[in-house]
Amino acid sequence: MQKLLIEKTNSTPFISFDAKARLLEIKGESYPENVAKFYTPVLEWLQDYLSNDESETTAVEFEILYFNSSSSKIFMTIFDILEQAVSKGKKILVKWICDEGNETAIECGEEFKEDLVHLPFDIKVY
Amino acid sequence: MELSLYEIYKELKFKRIILCYSGPIAQASIEGVGSTLRRNLEIEEAGNTTKLSVFSMFIEQVQNVLNYSAEKLSKTEEDGNELRIGVSVIGYEENGDYFIYCGNRVYNYDIPRISESIEQVRNLSKDELKLLYKERRRMEPQPGSKGAGLGIIEMARKSVIPLEYSLVKIDEEFSFFSIKVVVGRH
Repeated sequence: MQKLLIEKTNSTPFISFDAKARLLEIKGESYPENVAKFYTPVLEWLQDYLSNDESETTAVEFEILYFNSSSSKIFMTIFDILEQAVSKGKKILVKWICDEGNETAIECGEEFKEDLVHLPFDIKVY
Repeated sequence: MELSLYEIYKELKFKRIILCYSGPIAQASIEGVGSTLRRNLEIEEAGNTTKLSVFSMFIEQVQNVLNYSAEKLSKTEEDGNELRIGVSVIGYEENGDYFIYCGNRVYNYDIPRISESIEQVRNLSKDELKLLYKERRRMEPQPGSKGAGLGIIEMARKSVIPLEYSLVKIDEEFSFFSIKVVVGRH
């Protein structure tokens, strides 16, 4: 499966989804003009990846300094897709990475975690 | 000179306005003004949370203008690159808290929908707002809505006073809508 690589801009994060390494990274800020348009290829890649037969653990790393409310909705969608995959037996570990000085990002991570039942979701503060 | 910029400048200073943007808004102007705003808050030594909250309120408000302002500029009807007109004002209250205002034209027929969306949230407690935010985040988007419908709830969550807004009739077709959020200085 081909790697999904999107360079970061002021309002969109760096995205690197690597099927071979089983590492999905989203890093930077997210407040695009059109959230649906920006994340459509990301969601499509993810659905495709999860439909493959893969038994080893996939690491999903989010390191987001700031995201707007419409991005928040898309992130929830991503976590729901991952949660469904976990219920079906996939091994996935989400790491929500944030700077200790960014209380907002830490709280946002906690609010996602509260809404997830099966998906392992670690908040890593450095 | 017909236009006294000094009078405008003095008025802005007197009202403790840090930054004022009026006119066509595009994603590029949002990113540019937003990053200048962040640098300004950094120099003022606003705390990290305050800085991010002011920036985030600015983004939610001006992206609303981009999605909903009834005043548009475009060459053709189907032009995807249209510009929307709005006003954004950021400054601080006497006690040091930051205010973030935004305004734009709206169609009169949209007034009930706009007032309802604000009235529904403006008196809720922070816990109730959190629940509503989470519930709305998992809901399918409303038909005709370009955003997630979370912006107003997010504003109410961040504001230290209940959201203030006004709708002033311009003519039979349009009114001017403005909204104010106050972010505490930590």
